[in-house]
Amino acid sequence: MPPPDERSEKQAAAQQAVDILHEISTILNCHLDRRTLSICISMIENGVNPEALATVVKELRKEGQELEAGSSAAAARRR
Amino acid sequence: MSNDRGPRIASAIHSLIDHLVPGDLQDEKDAAEERHEACFQLVRSVFERPGSPAISSDVNHASDLIKRKLIQSNPSQALRFSNLYTRLLSLPVLNQKWAILYLLYQLSDSPDPNEPLPLSPLRQPVQRAPPRLAEKSSRASSSKASTSAPIPEDEEAFNDAFAPAGLKKLPPEKSKRGPDEEPQAGPAEDASPKKSARDVSLKSTLLADNSVEFEPSEITLLRDLPFALQGLSSTTLPFSKETSLKLPPTLSSPIISLLHTLAEPSLLYRGLGTFVKSPAKGLLGQSLRAAINNELRSYLTLVATLEGQIRRALSELDETAPRGGIGKAGVTLKRCVVWTREATMGLRLMSLIAEESNSKQGGQLITLIHGFSTSHGDPVVGAFAERLLADVTRPFYDILRRWIYDGELSDPHLEFFVREQSPNNEDRKESKAKGQASVWNSKYEVVDAMVPSIITADFAQKVFLIGKSLNFIRHSCGDSQWVEAYSKTSSKELKYGDTATLETWIDEAYKTTMQRLMQLMSTRFHLFDHLQALKNYILLGQGDFIALLMESLAANLDRPAGAQYRHTLTAQLEHAIRGSNAQYDSDEVLRRLDARMLQLSHGDIGWDCFTLEYKIDAPVDVVVTEWGNRQYLKVFNFLWRIKRVEFALASTWRKCMTGARGVLQTSEEAVLQTWKGTRGVLAEMIHFVGQLQYYILFEVIESSWTELQKNIHKEDCTLDDLITAHTRYLTSITHKGLLGARRRQHHDALKEAAAGLGPGGAAPTPAADTEDRNSYMVQLSELLRTMLAYRDSVDGLYSWSVSDFTRRQEVDAVGLTRANNNAHAAAGRNGKTKAPTAEDDPDEAGGLGGRTGPVKSEFPALQERLRQLGSSFRTRLQILLGDLAYQPDVDMRFLGVSMNFNDVYQPVRRKTAKGGVMASAGGGSASKV
Repeated sequence: MPPPDERSEKQAAAQQAVDILHEISTILNCHLDRRTLSICISMIENGVNPEALATVVKELRKEGQELEAGSSAAAARRR
Repeated sequence: MSNDRGPRIASAIHSLIDHLVPGDLQDEKDAAEERHEACFQLVRSVFERPGSPAISSDVNHASDLIKRKLIQSNPSQALRFSNLYTRLLSLPVLNQKWAILYLLYQLSDSPDPNEPLPLSPLRQPVQRAPPRLAEKSSRASSSKASTSAPIPEDEEAFNDAFAPAGLKKLPPEKSKRGPDEEPQAGPAEDASPKKSARDVSLKSTLLADNSVEFEPSEITLLRDLPFALQGLSSTTLPFSKETSLKLPPTLSSPIISLLHTLAEPSLLYRGLGTFVKSPAKGLLGQSLRAAINNELRSYLTLVATLEGQIRRALSELDETAPRGGIGKAGVTLKRCVVWTREATMGLRLMSLIAEESNSKQGGQLITLIHGFSTSHGDPVVGAFAERLLADVTRPFYDILRRWIYDGELSDPHLEFFVREQSPNNEDRKESKAKGQASVWNSKYEVVDAMVPSIITADFAQKVFLIGKSLNFIRHSCGDSQWVEAYSKTSSKELKYGDTATLETWIDEAYKTTMQRLMQLMSTRFHLFDHLQALKNYILLGQGDFIALLMESLAANLDRPAGAQYRHTLTAQLEHAIRGSNAQYDSDEVLRRLDARMLQLSHGDIGWDCFTLEYKIDAPVDVVVTEWGNRQYLKVFNFLWRIKRVEFALASTWRKCMTGARGVLQTSEEAVLQTWKGTRGVLAEMIHFVGQLQYYILFEVIESSWTELQKNIHKEDCTLDDLITAHTRYLTSITHKGLLGARRRQHHDALKEAAAGLGPGGAAPTPAADTEDRNSYMVQLSELLRTMLAYRDSVDGLYSWSVSDFTRRQEVDAVGLTRANNNAHAAAGRNGKTKAPTAEDDPDEAGGLGGRTGPVKSEFPALQERLRQLGSSFRTRLQILLGDLAYQPDVDMRFLGVSMNFNDVYQPVRRKTAKGGVMASAGGGSASKV
């Protein structure tokens, strides 16, 4: 366990990294929010293949959109 | 490590799923669970699949990818990115910076997840990719005109470039893969299709994002496009008129503009189709249509290929994809535009040519296309026109070959630049009137406008000459065997392209033909002999012959023209030939010589009408044309008149000289004085005639003859050169021989004058301007007339003198008889004889007195007339000398000098003396009448 000050320093650095990366992602039109981004970062830091992760993100997004569309359609029907 | 990481990843996945796929509030919990589970499984399976080998774990590589992308899309952001990137690098926390960047790169430009309308492009591409690739390669090889779509190729190149063996690396550790991982095909095999498929899908998604659905859909349009490109109406794209294509009104403007572009080849094709079917005006028009038809066929091949592509693409489409999945099919309207672009250029050029060709024909058509191939800046257009030209010129070269090897003009549609002259051509009529028309230069002509630009003007002239010569040899010289043999041996296939060879062939043909023609002219048709004969007989070169002819004819010709008979003339001619050196000339020449009378007019005597003629027949008459003949005749008449005057003067002089010793002896001072003056004037006249004759024969004719000889015996003399040389020869003779017109345009008037010269010296003087123009001619004939009149007067004086002499003799005799009578009377004293004598005496005396009166009064009249004629001769001569002195021609000036070598005459400038001249001329003619 690192000492607390070192830890907070590291957190700040991580925060900074996330900031930078978020900015890059905005430039690139990635449509990633900070939370998704940090999850992704942590996954990649844990050795997940970035390409696979990209696929996953897209898949999941699609899943989510479909679900949303479905539910909104359902809602519309119900109404 | 994997133990440590596994759960962490799992929990991360869970939170990711939770975050991205929000649970539906209305859904039951189970369903949400289930879905969550499904997602989780999906994610895991994705992770456990073997990763792409194409990724290298180099930070720079990922950032390079991003940078490149940004520079392409928006450069300003690229700068910002590189700032961020350096800051990121300086951070110590992250180990896998490249991976994160790569992730972002992969996710870049992904659709916004919050978009309400979800699109699902990601499901199909994996299965679709392989056929897509196959299709791509097949397209690249099949369609010739298609510039194969750049996007996929770039991608491929991209993948190739960034997946070299050295960089290939599998970032994730083996341990990361789950135990249930199934062995799959080698990573290299399926990875790249997958990746490119993803790219395509990304792009198509983008396209889908930006596109709006329209009606009729792109698929329908694509389906109908091949028909439209072939110029056929279809449901969506009907041809409303011959030249317009009706576009569906419901489309958005970008699509409309695409369709506009595609409509161009369709309409052009349609137009060209009708042009090809339209009847051609000539052979070249036909060949142009054939050539265009060929091009259209290759265009149709392109359309067929395109149709095949469209069909295949459409059959593989699935209707569920956005815009009918057209984006991934590889065939879109845009691509069709690209593929048909080059063909459109060709069609455009052809329709331009087709349109222009309506107003042009033959050589102009070739010139038109040749203009495109040589002077158009676009090499594509140039090459295209060149290709077209090879086909189009074929009939032209056929005609050319027939022309230069057979001498036949097989040009039914008047397309060649050589053409038969039409008989009612204005120019031709004129030249015919001038007598310059002949088979040689009036049968064919070069039409300058029709000379195609593929051959130069020089060259065209040569070609023209070759064909003309061959034609001439065949038809006028009757040597068709040679022409046939020649065309058999040397005929060659001519075609467009090899100009240098063509030129050498034509040069060769030119040389051969010209040589043959000249040889024929000199050996078979004795052209040079004829020219020599013309000079000898018509231009009075053969002195002994002319002298003999004149002597023998003189008595005959003094009689009126009506009393001249052809047979006597020909008999005298025969006599002159037999009696002179002319008898040694060849028969060929002599049988052409003929004497005849010109048109008679009232009051002419034989001298005025007689003419010698040299008959020229068929092939030679191209050199000695009708016009030439007329010139010869003119010169002959002129010379003949001079000769006659000389002859007359000489005979009178002789009479005077002999008379001087006998009958002319008188003691009367006035008569002696008159005779002296008369002899002086006669000597002047003889001098004048001698000088004139010398000048014309030696200075003019001989020198021109030498010139002609030099010209026609040149090595490479052609018939044309010959004709020109001969024409120049004649012109210089007529001009220098004081016969020429000063101004050409009044040729007709001059002709009149020339014709007037024939019927007699007493020709009515033409209008004043004619006289002015033709002054030498008129002046000389006036001079000659004066001399003849003078000579008549001298003859009158002579007879007066003789009669005077006789009278004196008689007076003497009477005196003598009287004396005798007286003596007799004195001696015989015979009264008987005296009475009749006395009776006779007054008779005789009266008779003598009656005769003496007129004789006495006749002498002053004669004296006066002689004086008048002498002075008029002098005045005229001075005017002539004045004119000669200001001649630009040296020879003519020299004539003046030699006539007036001792300055006995004072040359008068015509301008100042004009009025006087007119008056004296009038006086002269008046006095003559």
